[in-house]
Parts: sequence; structure tokens; C-alpha cells
Amino acid sequence: MIGADHCARLMGLNLSDVCRSGERLAGVLEYGYNYYNYDMVLVFSDPYVEAEAMGCSIVYSPSPIIIGPCPDAGEILDKNREWNFPEDSALNVMIEAARILKRRLKVPIFFSIKGPFSLSSFLYGIEDFLKLIKTAPEKAARFIHKTNNLLLKYIEKVLSLNINIFIGDPMASTSVISPDDFKRFALPPLRVLTGFIKEKDAMLGLHICGNTKPIIKLLDYLGVDILSLEDITPKTRTLRMGGVSTRTIFNDSSEQIKAEVERALKKPPLILSTGCDVPQDTKPENVKSLIKAFYEIGGCK
Amino acid sequence: MDLNEIKTAVIQMDEKSTEKLVIEALEEKYNPLDILNNGLIPGMKAVGELFTRKEYFVPEILLASDAFYRGFNLLTPYLKKASYRKKDKVLICVVQGDIHDIGKNIVKVMIESAGFQVIDLGRDVPIDEIIKAVKTAKPQILALSSLMTTTMLQMGEIINRLEKENLRKNIKIIIGGAPLNQEFARKIKADGYGEDAAGAVDLIEKLIRE
Repeated sequence: MIGADHCARLMGLNLSDVCRSGERLAGVLEYGYNYYNYDMVLVFSDPYVEAEAMGCSIVYSPSPIIIGPCPDAGEILDKNREWNFPEDSALNVMIEAARILKRRLKVPIFFSIKGPFSLSSFLYGIEDFLKLIKTAPEKAARFIHKTNNLLLKYIEKVLSLNINIFIGDPMASTSVISPDDFKRFALPPLRVLTGFIKEKDAMLGLHICGNTKPIIKLLDYLGVDILSLEDITPKTRTLRMGGVSTRTIFNDSSEQIKAEVERALKKPPLILSTGCDVPQDTKPENVKSLIKAFYEIGGCK
Repeated sequence: MDLNEIKTAVIQMDEKSTEKLVIEALEEKYNPLDILNNGLIPGMKAVGELFTRKEYFVPEILLASDAFYRGFNLLTPYLKKASYRKKDKVLICVVQGDIHDIGKNIVKVMIESAGFQVIDLGRDVPIDEIIKAVKTAKPQILALSSLMTTTMLQMGEIINRLEKENLRKNIKIIIGGAPLNQEFARKIKADGYGEDAAGAVDLIEKLIRE
């Protein structure tokens, strides 16, 4: 999975500049696609794009970092208000980029959207939200419900482009919360989103970082088309995506990458990829090693 | 009262009860060091074990840490008077450019509750500040954290600076954070890599024994 951050780095550009224009964002994603020649394009700029649109404080250092919650979060919860993405935000840049890429490229285009549990934690404040699910679970569930309603409006807009969706819900990982909390807080809104997206006949991928073994059955029966996982060893009925650890592609040598590709290809069917998005400063030769190893070992082209 | 009640309150992540029980214990003239060693620390140790066994997760650790520190802060003035002697010194921080500190804070509470003296420089800490703190505080362990691939490379620079300034041989360096692995630790010549908070104390104790 390659996002705009790595592609921008390939071109020697700053992500913060790229994300100001749909044309520029589409341009870097297209550059990455042509540079590596992979088989699907993910419209992904950074993990906090929705949170930033909702007013969370973000700094670029040089990658975006979230430093504060959404100022409206308390009011939305206490006064039982619904919220909306502002008309003029970076999300429009993403949508414009997706529209351009859909017109220019012949491969499947997936649009990255933050999952409801993760977006809720960004909007409320990560530590405070993780505590809230234990200290005031009803309040936390209500907050997630509101976040999900917000996401549904956004997804409807994205689906009008006739492209596919990839939900990333890193905070819903069972490296962070317990399987019980996943079931209680993260799974129900994901079910709602999945039902909504599948009703519109779009393809849907879901990425959850870290350890997913304890919840793999729940994910498998969610109804998504692709499960992008750090650990692809559990067998699933849903098509898996992954196989090469993100740490490996960033830190290790071509030989180690090739060994992981070899191991992964012994577990078909699989979309070969990294377990999470390729870090922006990953050496391009490492990404090329992954693709080269796939063709050598897999012999698909 | 029984100090086990304090341990239980920490395990149950009950900040208010922990505070109430520590105050009660002080009023009952328990030695503050006993309250720490037989109440709060065993509580946090049990929390660490529950985390290792994947019975507790990040939210539980955050709440248990709040309870631990609520009690610990009440004891601090008494512990200073009692010339409380801690184990070795650990300097911990998140490197410059990175403000993700949940992981660092969890590791900090685990180390502190294991009896080490922890100096927390916080997050987004410039290299110069780390070097200065190593010179003045003379810790046995330097624990560096980074959640971002853009900032993790600084860890190597920090180690190089410590070497250049002849500070490296007196200190063990451990690193942790999502994008790191053992291979990265080896490349930058760190002494250890901690995959998660639960293993940090064991790693530090192992390095100090060496």
C-alpha cells in the first residue's frame, strides 16, 4: 500500500504542499504508480486528513502529527448535535484527486477512509477516548455513532465517483483494545459502513494494524472484499492483502524482503503488499525488491 | 487496613479508591515506603503481567497508570524525607519531531513502578537536550521512543553523538516504537529493542546485569 507521502518523497516534494491541490495529489499518486507499476492505486494522503478537516490540530514535522482533539467534540456529545465535514476542506482535495485518477488510470482505484473507532479517538483525543470506553462506555458508543453518521455522509459523496473504498481503522487493533472492546465499540459501526458500501456495489477493503488474530473471524465475516493485515497467517474466506512486514520494507535488505515475499506467496490467495502503508522514507529499491521478488517467485508477468 | 487493598485498587484501575486508600494508610502511620513497595508497585506489576497475558490492553494500562500516579504523588514528599533509594536511573524520551507519547508513558510507568528512577524528558526532545541530560543526570539507561519513520533515524544520530562525546561506554541504550525492529537496533548500535512495554523492564534489568 503506497500513499501520497511516499510518492511525494519520490518526487522530492513536501506532502503538505501536495495535499493542497487535487491535481497535485493525483499527480504524485500517478507518479508512484508508474514508478513501481503496481496493480491498484490507493487515494491516501495521510492518516489524519478527516480529523484535520474536522478541526483537530495537526502539525507537519514533516509528516502530519495530530496534536489536539476536535474543538467541537465535547459539545457534539453533550448537546446531542450531529456534525458535518466543512464544505471547504482537504477532503475535497482527496475527492478531486480520486476523480482525476479514475479518469486517467485503468487500474482499480480505492479511496482511503478512516475507520469509525480511529476517527472517534482522533476527534475526542486519543488517550481520553481510550479511557472513555472504560469509564463511560455509553458516552463512547454515542460518540462513535455520531462519527459514523459523519463518515456515512462522506462515503456517499465518495461513492458517487464510482470508485472503491478502503477503510483503515488502526486504533481498532487488538494491539490497542481488547477483543471485547473491539466487539462492543469498533465492530458495530464497521458493520454499518460495510452494509452501506456493499449496497452501492463498490469494492471494500479493510485495514487494521497490528495484532488481529483474536478478531480475525469477526473480520472475516464482516462482508468486506479485502482484509489488509499485518499477519496473513490465519486462513480466511475473505481475500487477504499483506505478506511483507512494514518494518521489513523500511529497515531490512532486499534478501530479507525477498524471503518474506517467498513465505507470503506460499499462502494464496493473496494480494501481495506490505502489512501497512509503505513509510514515506522507505528506500525505493526496497519497494522495487518486493515487486521484483513477486514476479520472480510468483511468475505472474 | 491491608496494603493489598491498594494493590487491588490499582489493578482495578480505580483512581479514587487508590487515593483514598493511600491517604488512609498514611493516616494509619504505615511507612510510606511500605505503601509503595507493598501496595502501589505490586499493583502496577500485576497490571504489567495482565498486559503481557493480553488480558489488559492500552485503555486499561492508561487508567491503571492514573491510579498508580495518584497514589505515588501523594507519597512523593514522604519518600524524599525517608531518603528512598531507588534502583538505577533511566532517562526516557520521545525523539525530536515526534509527539506520540502514549507508548513512552506506558513504558515509563512500568519502569518507575519496578523501582527505577525515571527522568522523563517528554516528547519532541532535541538531540542537544538529550546529550545534556545524559551528561548531567548520568543515567545507566537511555530509553528512546519514536512512532514515526521520519524521526526514528535520529536515534542513530543520538548514539553517534554519545560516541563522539565519549559518553557511550557508560550507558546502555534501548529503543522502542512501532516502526522499529531488532534489525534497526543492530544497525544503529543500540543495546536493545523493546517490542512492547511489558518487556521493557526485563530488558533494562538484563542490560544492567550485563
